Amino acid sequence: MKYVAKKVIGAIITLLVVSLLVFLAFAIIPGDPALSRLGTNATESALAAMRERMGLNKPIPVRYLLWLAGIFKGDLGTSYAYEMPVTALIADKMPITITLMIYSLILMLIISVPLGVYASYKEKTAIDRAIQIINQIIMALPPFFSGILITLVFGVGLKFFVPGGFVSIGVNPVRFFKFMFFPALAIALPKSAMILNLLYTSLNGEKKKDYVRTAYSRGNTSNAVFFGHMLKNASMPAITFIGMALADIVAGSIIIEQVFGIPGLGRILLTSIQNRDYPVVLAVIMLIALMVVVTNLAVDVIYKIVDPRIE
Amino acid sequence: MNRKKRSFNFILGTVLLALTLIPALIGLVWTPYDPESMDVANKLAHVSIRHIYGCDNFGRDVFSRIMSGSGITLLIAIGTVACGSIIGTIIGAFTGYFGGMVDTAIMRINDVALAFPSILLALVIISLMGSGKYQVMFALGIAFIPSYARIVRGEYKRIKNLDYVKSAKLAGAGDLRIMFVHILPNTKAVLLSSVMIGFNNAILAEAGLSFLGIGVQPPDASLGRMLSEAQAYLFTNPGYAMFPGITIVMIILGFSLLSKEIG
Amino acid sequence: MEKLLHVEDLNIEFHDHLIPETVVYDFDLDMEPGEIVGLVGESGSGKSMSALAIAGLLSRHDMKKRGTITFNGRDILNCPRNQLRDLQGDEICIIFQEPLTSLDPVKKIGWQVEEALRIHTKLTPAERKAKALKALEDVELNDVERVYDSYPHELSGGMRQRVMIAAATIGNPMLLIADEPTTALDVTVQGQIVKLLKKINKEKNTAILFISHDLSLVSRLCDRVMVMKSGYVVESGSIKDIFENPKEEYTKKLIASIPSYDPEAGKEAEDDVILDVKDVCVSFDKKINGKNTNVKVLKNVSLKINKGEVIGLVGESGCGKSTLAKAIVGLQPIDSGSIEQHEKYPQMVFQDPYGSLNPSKKIGFILEEPLKNLTDVTEEERHKKAKEMICLVGLSEEYLERYPAELSGGQRQRVCIAQALMLGPKLLIADEPVSALDVTIQAEVLKLMQKLHEELGLSILFISHDLRVVGKMCDRVLVMKDGVIVEQGIKSDIYDDPKHEYTVSLLESAGLLKKN
Repeated sequence: MKYVAKKVIGAIITLLVVSLLVFLAFAIIPGDPALSRLGTNATESALAAMRERMGLNKPIPVRYLLWLAGIFKGDLGTSYAYEMPVTALIADKMPITITLMIYSLILMLIISVPLGVYASYKEKTAIDRAIQIINQIIMALPPFFSGILITLVFGVGLKFFVPGGFVSIGVNPVRFFKFMFFPALAIALPKSAMILNLLYTSLNGEKKKDYVRTAYSRGNTSNAVFFGHMLKNASMPAITFIGMALADIVAGSIIIEQVFGIPGLGRILLTSIQNRDYPVVLAVIMLIALMVVVTNLAVDVIYKIVDPRIE
Repeated sequence: MNRKKRSFNFILGTVLLALTLIPALIGLVWTPYDPESMDVANKLAHVSIRHIYGCDNFGRDVFSRIMSGSGITLLIAIGTVACGSIIGTIIGAFTGYFGGMVDTAIMRINDVALAFPSILLALVIISLMGSGKYQVMFALGIAFIPSYARIVRGEYKRIKNLDYVKSAKLAGAGDLRIMFVHILPNTKAVLLSSVMIGFNNAILAEAGLSFLGIGVQPPDASLGRMLSEAQAYLFTNPGYAMFPGITIVMIILGFSLLSKEIG
Repeated sequence: MEKLLHVEDLNIEFHDHLIPETVVYDFDLDMEPGEIVGLVGESGSGKSMSALAIAGLLSRHDMKKRGTITFNGRDILNCPRNQLRDLQGDEICIIFQEPLTSLDPVKKIGWQVEEALRIHTKLTPAERKAKALKALEDVELNDVERVYDSYPHELSGGMRQRVMIAAATIGNPMLLIADEPTTALDVTVQGQIVKLLKKINKEKNTAILFISHDLSLVSRLCDRVMVMKSGYVVESGSIKDIFENPKEEYTKKLIASIPSYDPEAGKEAEDDVILDVKDVCVSFDKKINGKNTNVKVLKNVSLKINKGEVIGLVGESGCGKSTLAKAIVGLQPIDSGSIEQHEKYPQMVFQDPYGSLNPSKKIGFILEEPLKNLTDVTEEERHKKAKEMICLVGLSEEYLERYPAELSGGQRQRVCIAQALMLGPKLLIADEPVSALDVTIQAEVLKLMQKLHEELGLSILFISHDLRVVGKMCDRVLVMKDGVIVEQGIKSDIYDDPKHEYTVSLLESAGLLKKN
């Protein structure tokens, strides 16, 4: 329990540091948002009024604290470009991106864990080598290219889905989940290959450990040694890596939304970056940071459950 | 380890890199066609003898664009890895060797940065500085520092407690001499393999940013940008998307096979 | 009587290189029920390989075995895996050198001790637990309920090895193979484990095949002994025959290498102090159960070393002897007290020859380092001095151009000694300099140190856990326990008439206690 509390406090500190750094970064960049809103012809008094409306006239520390307090009240500021609350702007985008992430996480685990275990179980056989070769190639696929390949094969070729034909969950849940399978697969494939490789390497490393020899010396079958002793030990590096892969899934989803035309957080982040709509960029980045930190926290807790040696 | 399998990895890796890097190097000085000259007559032309990879939606020769685009991609990757690994090594060396409060503080920030996908960090930096190839190099370079700093710090923390470092201390070596003459060469193996992996990550990140339209800007060609432009023509000319994509896969596969050999 | 184990013409070959490499040649062994046989040899002699083959644990695909191994009337060598499993853990059990890595780190002790019962019997969980607790009691562990629910990392090294023995003997096996079971443990714990094995042998009539590099340890436990060298059994016979009448050159060398206490050497040196340690205290912040606790490692330690004297500092791991060495050379700041010495730049030889030489530097560079940093001699003189020094420690000049990886453990330790002598000190501090070496190599390095002591008039602070080595090398002996020097004096006084009970128990564990 103490361990979990310590990790939660650590996560909160991390989020605060992120918020401070990101806010500062956007606060000190050159350029006057009020000026770009009103154009160069604006009078000085109009500019001042606009600055006051946008909350830019106060010193940076005050602005940061106000912004931070706003977050706790559920107020993420107002978009420059759309002149509407950021919360309203991203409220319906968030579920889409989170669905995509969870979907790809599940696919990633379903693909990588059984195959990694199986390949190590069959080490040095033809099937192991075949898995290794295919795995090497998939590992080298950039997520957007795997997205394009999947579009080409399943969309253009096999016509399993209509490329660009996103349907929101409210309109048709079945078609939503059917469509989302393909972008999720595009994110999951290269990551699965990496986790497969890691699990495979760590399982093969465990085979040489002393306790495996001890287990054999007690008359265990190969299966009992493999599944009863090695699997739990080998899963620990894999858990750490899955935690890191989650961060990559977040990054991957931004790109994949672009490939499949999904109106999620990634899309709005990109448009806001191009529009220099900083309140929205800030909000989306904080949300992503929150997701990454929470998943890392979950990984730490799982790790503690699996490995008794963690203090 | 199995000798035969090792050399197979090595040969395949070398061949893949030769097939991609040599055209990229030549592309720096010469390409069959001007990668930027448009030719409406050849718009989306399919594979032919004159245009071995076909042409894009502006009738530009895809092969020439891949040659010059992979050159830019590689330059960015080299710049990124150089920046990330040198600054990361220096930070990691000092924090790992000396430890203490500064170490804790820097590593806290580092952990925060590491929890962020590097491409996202780069996105933030680019949104502050604008896009373009130098901005991408700078943004990715900074985004890559934390991972190197952490790896090098771990090595320094481990090695500084080994007896040969104590022995060097007794032999009168100062801190800087111990850090860079005695310890640094022994981080070579770890550093080299993370440079190789970092190279791949840099190529992926650059291609990703350019794919999103905020990386390399036209008229410069880039493999990621070509893929994103080609996406609209998957029905009419799938080859336009395949060739740049396969080029990226070949480069990354080549590097990862070679890094297996070295690591 | 029916033979328990019959091994004949066992040959083991590795096939992972182009040329097959034989690691065991024509190995023969017969064991009666309840007999204790010792298998002695240095690292790489093939003793562990033979033992693993007998336990049926050598099944790598790149390995070939020829000959016969019959256990209790059953052919082990050509037995299919599933029949072999019936024996393993039930009739033949094995314990290994490193108990920490030999136990599964993520499984509770109780689960691991019961494992053999789970596989070979149909006992209920409650019966299994009762048996496991009994087995843990039998290996003289206290608080067995708590141990039962612990994880391996929560126990000490000695406790872990007891757990391993409990797990191995829970099914009353007919043969227990012990592969260097005490090497990773402290001297006093070593003695206890040997006693425990003897007890098990007596009470349960379990035959024991005891594998060790330590001939003196084997002589205290076994009836018979076999000596192995580079894959061959060079000599075998009763302990008495081997010790009193060794026939083979190698056995003679092995016996001669056992450092023996030499009362003659202990003499008082002239009063010319070159190191004066007064009331030194050192403490660390250590994490104990997640809490930062200040641990006093050295408590008011004082010692003096005179010119030309060899002083032995004896104690078990964690007693603070290495900390004292580091404090003397300045690698460890001290809380209070004073250290006065003749040397401006004191030098030290470390225990692990594999960790104390920088793997990325040539030997020449390593040797010249002190001169480069601390003196202003020319490059030419540095080269000359390095050449001189490498020859002095018994290596040739070519070694200056080599990397540490190309040297054996003994050669590396010679280089470490050479480096420590580059500045021409009068005092050398050696922290367990021979503990990581094979016995015959150990004897050679000790001989070198003795020679340096005599020729250069070098004083040596010799730190060791091994009373035999200290008994051979030193004039004066200090015994350290928990950061305190509990006894000190002329060697013969300490060895023949120990005053402190800890000294007595150390001598007893090493088999050196004089029985009055």
